[in-house]
Order: sequence, then structure tokens, then C-alpha cells
Amino acid sequence: MRIKGLIFLAILIGLGVALSFVSPDKWLQENIEYQASVLNEAKVEFDDFEFDLFGLKMSWSRLQVANPNNTMTNTFETGETEFDLLFWPVMWERVLIEDIKLTGFRLDTERETDGYFEMPVDESGEEDPGFIAEVTRQITSEIKQNAQMQITDIKDDINVDSLMALVDIESVDKMNALQSDLQQKYNRWENTLSNNPIEQNVNTIKTTMEAIEVPKMKNPKEVISTLENVKKLTDQVKKLQKDADSLKKAFEADFNSSKDGLGQIDNWIRSDIQKAVNVAKLPDLDAQNIGTALFGGNLLGDFSAYLEYLALAREYGSRFVGAEEEEKIERYEGKNYTFSDKYDWPSFWIQNIELSGFTKTDIEISGKVTNLTSDQKKIGEPIIIGLKGEDANGVNLSIDGEINYLGEQPVEKVRVAYSNFPLKNTKISPSELLKYDLKQGTGEISVDLNIIDKRISSEVRYEAKDIAFDFESAGAPKNRIESLIRTAISGADNINASALIDGTEGRLDVKVRSNIDDLFLDALKGTVSKQVEDAKRKIRSEVESQVTAKRREVETLVREKEAQIQKEYEALQAKVDEQLEKVEAKKAELEKKKKELEDSVKDALKKKIGF
Amino acid sequence: MFLILKYIAKLLKAISSEAAPGQLAAGLILGMIIGLTPVASIHNLIILVLIIILKVNIGMAILGFLVFSGVAYLADPVFHSFGTWMLENESLQGFWVTMYNNEWIAISRFYNTVVIGSLLIAIGLCLPVYPLTVYMVKEYREHILARINKWKVVKLLKGTKLYSIYQGVNRVRGKA
Repeated sequence: MRIKGLIFLAILIGLGVALSFVSPDKWLQENIEYQASVLNEAKVEFDDFEFDLFGLKMSWSRLQVANPNNTMTNTFETGETEFDLLFWPVMWERVLIEDIKLTGFRLDTERETDGYFEMPVDESGEEDPGFIAEVTRQITSEIKQNAQMQITDIKDDINVDSLMALVDIESVDKMNALQSDLQQKYNRWENTLSNNPIEQNVNTIKTTMEAIEVPKMKNPKEVISTLENVKKLTDQVKKLQKDADSLKKAFEADFNSSKDGLGQIDNWIRSDIQKAVNVAKLPDLDAQNIGTALFGGNLLGDFSAYLEYLALAREYGSRFVGAEEEEKIERYEGKNYTFSDKYDWPSFWIQNIELSGFTKTDIEISGKVTNLTSDQKKIGEPIIIGLKGEDANGVNLSIDGEINYLGEQPVEKVRVAYSNFPLKNTKISPSELLKYDLKQGTGEISVDLNIIDKRISSEVRYEAKDIAFDFESAGAPKNRIESLIRTAISGADNINASALIDGTEGRLDVKVRSNIDDLFLDALKGTVSKQVEDAKRKIRSEVESQVTAKRREVETLVREKEAQIQKEYEALQAKVDEQLEKVEAKKAELEKKKKELEDSVKDALKKKIGF
Repeated sequence: MFLILKYIAKLLKAISSEAAPGQLAAGLILGMIIGLTPVASIHNLIILVLIIILKVNIGMAILGFLVFSGVAYLADPVFHSFGTWMLENESLQGFWVTMYNNEWIAISRFYNTVVIGSLLIAIGLCLPVYPLTVYMVKEYREHILARINKWKVVKLLKGTKLYSIYQGVNRVRGKA
């Protein structure tokens, strides 16, 4: 044993122990905050962050996760939190936590400072918005359309001239573009047909054929040689025939696409009519549209808010999944073998989060979120969310969900139920059709969100119970429509509405219905419907009068030019066919001549021999 | 760098006369193991502790590490292949599973082809390298050292004032 060595080792160990007491909290906090902020695309901040290296304990007094879309608010924040990291996974560079208690959880809180985070250059950039984000965009656009529906402003004396001055009629410009395109196409075909090599070649073959005078041929050798040449000419003509066929096919394909262009004209005109109808703010009056106008904004607004949370979950999920990389065998690195699944942990796994806190409306919620992980397939469990709560007035909220990425297709299912909230002094709809405050009533909203990969099937239900409208505060009805609506809904003490959202990528079907749609429709039909239809008729006839002349012009161009080019092509084809016939005839003539000459030679030979 | 040069100087001195051939050979094989296997491995920490606390020649351990690190770079594909063969060997599967399921053993990363391949080859090499080093040191001292001391260059070096000062300093420090 080397005594000096032992002393040196003891000093080293002592130094190591002393160093471990130097707190890594600040360094660790900054690193975790930075990495989490990159993931969140907005600031993630801890207050009073502490990490105990020996006990592998982590704690903070407050965690704020800024909302990247509004950096002056937090997506959520938590209060006092403490948890233990499992020892062995840390040795394998994995973060596994069995239980976390998140107290003081709050959604959507205000921030004292801006949560904007400057993204590093290689992390930022354009990303595919993803299916859920696309659905959210479509629903937001649907809400905007609903907001434009103003039934009570409809007038029956629409000034079509002043209206048309506001509408940019695009059909004429589009038809001009089509006409110019077609004209170029026809010019190209005229050129092709007048300068095509087929005709020139046919003429050359014709001249060659005319020069062959079969009756004057006396020598069988000359006949055989000419016959060979004629056979070659026959092949050439057949090739020209094929070229002419190809030309015809290309020409027909081109003309079919012209016809497709013509088929678009009706759509362009319809689109212009619809544009004028929109400028005149004329709605399509049916129960579906009325339902959408009354409740679409509210129901779909709630729905898109929940969708945004799911989009966030899917985005984070995909980022975590991307982090699990396959092992590469590099020089001097080797390959790791696994002999059991004992250490097959995901990079990150919180098994159980016990959460308690308040919503923005002061409902005290509590519950669990289990199996939050970077790789669900490794743990074989989906994320399960179960939260519920109630406020002092008996208003209930429950959130249940399953985020399942175990199969080939990601599945997200969330059910949110918010019930027993008071409706007194509130409006049941933002629509001016239903602008009356309620004197009493309670409400219930439930959202069922089901997304499987790129297919969404969801429903939002709203129910207002034991309601009574306060017509007195709104004063006397301003017009007949208002009066009819009041009469129609005064007897309704229960209103329920639902929005069904169904579809796949690029095809989203949104239906909003309520039990008072038909009441409204009946009230509006007798008055508004007629005005709407009259106004639409005027607009339609005005748009059509502006575009009809141009339409005829384009159609005439197509008809005349196609006939002309068709005629030219047929003439060319006739020439080729005629030439083929002539060549074949010449070939037959030569065959006959050859036989005659051969026979005469044979006869002369027989005579000489004495047969 | 100075420390390494110092140990190399000590090493040359030790080879010449001072240290026991066994200490020199032990230093070499321990350095060899560190050099041949991936440096950041738990077993190398143990070997480092052994070098510090046992009376092995540290200069020889450094020499072994430097020389065999280069060898390891070239022999890496061999380690990987041998490690793969070992870890895939059917008759050893039960043994590997037992080792793997013990966290304290698994932390050594024995399940890595280069770690296990290089470690086993290094241990295997200890068997010939140790006695060979002992033999070579003895041979050097008996037959080669006397001849080297007779070289004119060595005599010239030993005759310089610098060498006398060096010996003087060593005497004062009690290391001559």
C-alpha cells in the first residue's frame, strides 16, 4: 500500500464531498427554464427553485408557464411543489418521478412581466400547423361567418346599382383570361397543323411514288429493288399515320382541358352572385343557419379553446417523441444490448400528478393526471386526466381525458362538463336576434372531443334551464321581426343547443342546432324570407346581365376554332390515308409485275431446255 | 505536462535500477486496461484508485495508458466484434441477464459491445504482458543497460555540468 496514495485519495474524496455542498440550484434552474422555454416557445419560470443532489429532491414555490400566444398571461401556474427523482433512472440519464403534488394550480393567469422568449435560431422557423391547429382555424373562420349574419337589417328595397358598385365581379376578368389562354392554344394548333412535317413527308412520298412507272419496267431486278423501296415507303406512311393519330390525341386532350375551363364559368358566376349576396348581407334562411347564428359563436368558441389545449398536448407529445432517438453505432461507442426491460424507461416519466387549485371562475378543482411521459409505448399506458371541482355556489366542473399515443394513430379524448352556473343577468347568445337578458336560469355546457389522428368527431352541448327573458328592460319591439321573435320565444323555459363537429383533414362539417331554431324560422319566414329572395333575384339577374355577353363570346370562340382546327386535321388525315392507299396499290402493282416478269423468264428458260 | 515528463523521467530511472520489475509490470497492465477500454467507465475509476493506493509504478501506468490508447483506436472494430460475440453467445445469456438485472453491475455498462470486448481483451492481455514486462525489465538491466552506459553520448551527457547539478539537487532532496 502506498500511504501517500491513500492520503491523496482521501483528499480527493473530501474535495468531492465539499463540492457537492456547493448548490447547483441556480445553474440547474437556468438550464431547465431555458429548455422548457424552448419547448413552450414562451418563458417558463420557477421561483425559489431548489435541488438536493444527495436526496434527489426538487422543489419550487411557484412555476409559471407563459402562453406563447399571449405572453402577458400564463397558460397555467402552480404553487408549492416538491417531488423526488428516482435514483437508478438518473444513472441512466432518465428523469422518472413517481408522485408530484401540484398545489395552487391555476389556468390562464395574468403575468407581472412579459413572458416573451427569444427562440434560438435553429429551434424557430415555420412548422406544419398540424391537424388540430387546422381544425381550430376552420372553426374560427366559421365563427366569423356567423357573426356576419344580420337578419334584422334586411331591407326589401335594395339598390342593386349601388350594391354592384361595391362588388368586384371577377367572372368577366376570369373569362377574359380564359379567352386569351384559349386563343393562344388555338394559334399554337393552327401553326402545328400548317407547318407540320407530316404533310411535307406525304408530299415527298407522293412525288416519289408518281415517279415510279411500273409498265415501263422490263428487268425483274429493277422491279424487286423498286418493290423494296415501296415497302419502305409503306412503313414510312404508316408511321406518318401514327404521328397523325398522336397529334389528334394531343389535340383532343388540349381541347378537353379547354372544355373544363368552360365548365368553370358557371362556378365563377355563382361565386360572384354569392359575393354580391354577402355584400348585401343576405342570409340563407334555414334552421341550421339560424342555429349557427344564435349559438355558433358561443359553442364553437368554447370548443376551439379546448382544441387549443389539445393541439398543445399533441405538439408537446410529438416533440418528446422526436427526442427519443435510435441508438447509432459510432466508432469507440459500441452498441448497447438489453437483456431485460428493467431499464427501458422513457427519457421522462411522471407517474402520478396530484393537482389542486382554482379555475379562473374560482372553482376549486382537484384530481390526477397520470403517466405523463415522453414515450407512452415504453410504459404501455396513456395519459389519463381526471379533474373535478365545485365552487361555493354549487357550480361544477369536471375534466376527464385520455391522450393515447400507444397505437399507430394518436387518439385524444376529452370530456369537459361545466354545470349549474347561474344565467341571471346574462345573455343566452351574442346574436342580436336574442339580445335579451335573462331574469333567471341555470346553465350546463358539456364538450366531448374525440380526435383520432386526422379525424375529429366532437359535440358541444349547451342547456339553459328554467329561464325567463327580460323583455321589459329591452323596451318596446323596434320592428315586426323583433315582435315576432319575442312572441315565439316567450314560452320557452328551456333552451338547448348543440354543435356537432365532424370531419377529416380538409373536410370539416360543423352543424349547430337548437330547440328554438324552428321557432325563429317560422317567425322569420313570413317576413324576412320574401325580402331575402327578392333581393337575391335582383342581384342574380344583374350579375348575369354583366357576364352573359362575355360568356357567349368565349363559347363562340371555342365552337368556331375547334370546328376549324378539326377540319384542318381531318384534311391532313385524309391526305395520309389516301397516300397509304396509293402506296399499297403501287406495291400490289409491283408484286404483279414481278410475278409476270418471273413467269416470262421461267417460260423462256423452259423453252431453251426443251420442256 | 510537467507532471507527465516528471513521471517519464522517474520511469526511465525506475526501469534502470530502482523499482521492482513486478511493480513496473503491474503499472503497465493497469495503464493498459485504462488505455484499451473506454475511459469514462466505472471499472477505470476502480483501476485508477488501485494505481494510486498500490505500490505500482505510476510512470509505467501512464506509459501503458498512452501507448494502448492508440492501440485501442485501431482495435475498436475488433473490440466491438468480440463484444458482440460475447453478448450474443447463447450459453452466456443467463449469466448476462443476472448481471444486467443487478443495478450495481449494470452501471458498469458491461452490456456495451466495446466496453465488454475491450475489457475482456485487456484482462486477457494481462496474462502475457505482465510476465513479459518482468522478463524484459530484467533483461534490460542485465544486458542492455551496461552497454548503454558505455555509449559515448551517455558518457558525454553524464559529464555535463547540468547532469552534476541534477544529481546534486536529487541528493539534497534525498532521492539520489
